[in-house]
Amino acid sequence: MGQVVQLEKIEPLQGYKLRIVQEVVLALLAKQASHGYQLQARLALALGPLGGALNAGHIYVTLGRLEKADLVRARRVDQAGRPDRKVYELTAAGRERVHEWLSDTSWPKPAPAEFHLKLVAAAAAGLADPVRLIDKQRGELLVGLREAQRAALAEPAGSVAGLLLEGVVLRLQADLRWLEECARYWNAAKG
Amino acid sequence: MTVESETSVLSAQGLCKEYGKGAALVRAVQAVTLEVERGELVAVVGPSGCGKSTLLHLLGGLERPTAGSVRLGGSALERMPEAQQARIRRRDLGFVFQAFHLVDELTALENVELPALLAGASPRGARARASELLAQVGLADRASHLPSALSGGQQQRVAIARALANEPLLVLADEPTGNLDSSATTELLRLFEQLHARGQTVVVVTHDERIAATADRLISMRDGAFVDETKLAGGTARPLSAMAGLEA
Amino acid sequence: MGRLLLIYRLVVGDIKRRPVQSALLAVVIVITATTLTLGLGLRNVAQKPFAHTRAATRGPDIVIQGQPNRGARGTPARAFRPLAHATGVAAIGGPFPLAFARLTAPGIDVPVNAEGRTSTPTAVNQPLVTAGRWVRPGGVVIEQGLAGALGLHVGDRIRLRGRAFRVVGIALQTEQAFYPACTPGLVWVTPGDAGRLATPSDPLGYEVDVKLRHPSAARAFWSTAAANAFSKAASGSTISQSWEAIKSEDYRVVTIDQKALLIGSWLLALLAIASVAIVVGGRMTEQTRRVGLLKAVGATPRLVAVVLLAQNLLLALAGAAAGLLVGWLLVPSFSDPGRGLLGTPPSPTLTLVSMVEVICAAMVMAVAATLIPAARAARTSTIRALNDPARPPKRRPRLIAISSRLPVPLLLGLRLGSHRPRRTVLTTASLAIAVTMIVAAVTLQHEVDLKEQTSSQSGLFISSSIGGRVTHLVWTLGAVLVVLAGVNAIFTMWTTVIDGERPTALARVLGATPRQVSAGLTAAQLLPGLVAACIGIPAGLGLYELAGGHVATAKPPIMLLLAMVPCTLIAVAVLTYFPARAGARRSVADVLRSE
Repeated sequence: MGQVVQLEKIEPLQGYKLRIVQEVVLALLAKQASHGYQLQARLALALGPLGGALNAGHIYVTLGRLEKADLVRARRVDQAGRPDRKVYELTAAGRERVHEWLSDTSWPKPAPAEFHLKLVAAAAAGLADPVRLIDKQRGELLVGLREAQRAALAEPAGSVAGLLLEGVVLRLQADLRWLEECARYWNAAKG
Repeated sequence: MTVESETSVLSAQGLCKEYGKGAALVRAVQAVTLEVERGELVAVVGPSGCGKSTLLHLLGGLERPTAGSVRLGGSALERMPEAQQARIRRRDLGFVFQAFHLVDELTALENVELPALLAGASPRGARARASELLAQVGLADRASHLPSALSGGQQQRVAIARALANEPLLVLADEPTGNLDSSATTELLRLFEQLHARGQTVVVVTHDERIAATADRLISMRDGAFVDETKLAGGTARPLSAMAGLEA
Repeated sequence: MGRLLLIYRLVVGDIKRRPVQSALLAVVIVITATTLTLGLGLRNVAQKPFAHTRAATRGPDIVIQGQPNRGARGTPARAFRPLAHATGVAAIGGPFPLAFARLTAPGIDVPVNAEGRTSTPTAVNQPLVTAGRWVRPGGVVIEQGLAGALGLHVGDRIRLRGRAFRVVGIALQTEQAFYPACTPGLVWVTPGDAGRLATPSDPLGYEVDVKLRHPSAARAFWSTAAANAFSKAASGSTISQSWEAIKSEDYRVVTIDQKALLIGSWLLALLAIASVAIVVGGRMTEQTRRVGLLKAVGATPRLVAVVLLAQNLLLALAGAAAGLLVGWLLVPSFSDPGRGLLGTPPSPTLTLVSMVEVICAAMVMAVAATLIPAARAARTSTIRALNDPARPPKRRPRLIAISSRLPVPLLLGLRLGSHRPRRTVLTTASLAIAVTMIVAAVTLQHEVDLKEQTSSQSGLFISSSIGGRVTHLVWTLGAVLVVLAGVNAIFTMWTTVIDGERPTALARVLGATPRQVSAGLTAAQLLPGLVAACIGIPAGLGLYELAGGHVATAKPPIMLLLAMVPCTLIAVAVLTYFPARAGARRSVADVLRSE
């Protein structure tokens, strides 16, 4: 309440960048406390075919990290005839974090800089033909677009995961457009 | 001189199209060679003004090439008089245009039956086939609607149904999604995938990457000439989830 | 002031941009105005020449021609002499012997009445010699109209009933209408020669000329006592004519011409309205887009309508002025009553009233034809006018269903022709009017031919030559109408081709051959032609009846009438062949690309 909490940035696991999963798990717990497997189910629903990257292990590891950071707390629930399961719920700090994340408008970083610099360097050093690099990348993106598109079409109408796939498709489309512009530039620069 | 395989549906050799003379000479298409196998979906992409549409017109016999030849199903198209070309067109070709080009005062059903009627089919047979085709593209309930009562995507689907009316060897599509918004484009993508799955040979000219991504072969065109060909096969190096930002 | 200037600029700019249509409009109005002018000008033909000739020849007020009974005793002269003093009678000329004979010469064989005259001038009816001299034995004086028609001159040798005569003079008279207004023609010989020309089968008749105290009472004369006396004195059969009747005979040529011209003018005016409507409505797409632009920059709907009307009125005025001029130049050649009367042909008198009438007619035509398109254009919403200039054709489900059962050319033709029904109706109307006139002309020709075959020497008032002249006029009018209707058909075909660019290109993409397409375009014109011919045949006969002819007797053979149908179709097909062919061969890609 009115207190600005300076939250420490949780370091993602080494070699494993799942920062957003942490935020999502927190947010999913905001309404009510849930079991780990329930969280996983909801994530799977939201990610559709892309949800294969996340399995139960990831969820529990994430939950562990969040518990260590005092953003969630775990409770044991006794169930007759079954082994005890943990139920996770948000702490006040966790709730603050969720609000902060939801109202944060910084868009995930777009990434043309790397490829752009790649082309400039290749041209400057005479190591490779930029146009060839572009063509190769373009082919790669097109195949990706194809897959994403097929996946999107396979989703039933009104599926929320379909929305995610549409987003992938459109992003790839934008990237391809930019590559087209690059090709035009570097072609002219060549001749 | 490439050897025509037996499954080759379309074979274009050294196609050229020039307009104007002297200082005003425009080379819309320069020395294009293209071979399309049965069941292939070939996409020709390029910036606007690169001659893609002209190429499509040449392939379909709607314009005569300045040089080169076009063989469709074995017949040399460019040397024929237009009457003969018309007969071949109605038998072996289906066209889909960017502006749909449906007849405004005919219903969807009447539009689709038009090629069959022009080919001399009986009115009843033409109508039956038209109904069937409209059902295939998912517009059976809109059969008696006028084009003005249909959305852009629906109109283009009617146009595709019309293109399939006479069971053509080859469907030529000129910027089919040019006048469509994103959701209509998705409708059309579905349809293109279906056509491809059924084994329909299609050559589509487009600058929409999504349509291009449905193709087996992608040919890039610039300033009237083919500059690159990509075979879209196999999968990506990165998984899809990585492209979505869920990096593993 | 600024607004007037703006309107002027817009109008002139549009005329410059569409020269063909503007010229077409002007031509139509010129032709119509010319015909109207002619018709009206003839109404005003001066009546002078007859009066001059009558005065110069001391023309009779009443002419009596008779045939004495067989075996009548005594010459008729004695019977008529006392009548010189009857009430109302001022003087009597004659009786002069009258013989009937055939005048023959190389290439000439006509029946004539030969009147016996002495060299003594008479008080009544002394013909005026205009060339050569008066009669002498062995010589013949020929009436001027007859001489002109036969190409005879003083000194020529002719034969009357086989007897040789020499033409010694040419003269004018008013005892009967001049040749060919009145046949047989009139020649004068000496009384002795006249007597020798008589035969038992064609005995000598006589002529008596009466001058009344009150010439205007000529018609009333016959109810008087004097008339009874004349009847008693006359023996045998008589025919009499008053001078007014003779004058109207003389002018009958002109009157008949005028009637034909007026009917022709009405038909022409109708056709002209149809033509103007077609031309104005022709490129409605351009018109509508222009209207949209005007509105988008702030012109009120009224201003828009004014601009459209002003343009056509301007052209109508120009056309009317030109038509008046041409008609003024042509009136003399139609109004010359012939060479049988004294005096130069009357100077064409175009009264101010007539001129105003013609100009008004032209402007009414332009307004009538422009009104509907202008009103509609002005009411169209601006956005619609800019984005979608051509009104999409109305859907006609039954027509579509019918056409899908027909072979391809008829399918295309029916659907194309129904795109602009108003234009199709107008074309049908213009063709029908032309066919109507041609049928009337054919019927007239047929009647004249019939009369020519059955004409006998009896009777003074058969006018097969007048018939020839009127027929010539009617055929000319018919030709003008055919030309106009033909121009309409070509223009309609041209606009159909342009408006039908997209559908025909589409048809060709979907597999219609160019021949099928051009056949379809032609069929779109042939169907109106068929309807027009079917309407025009009975209409032409009806018109003939209305104009005073007798259809029952003059009706041409059925086969000839029915032949109008294929003739019309062939004419339309030939006229529209080239535009149709061109329309079927435009580059498909260009048409579709420009979308």
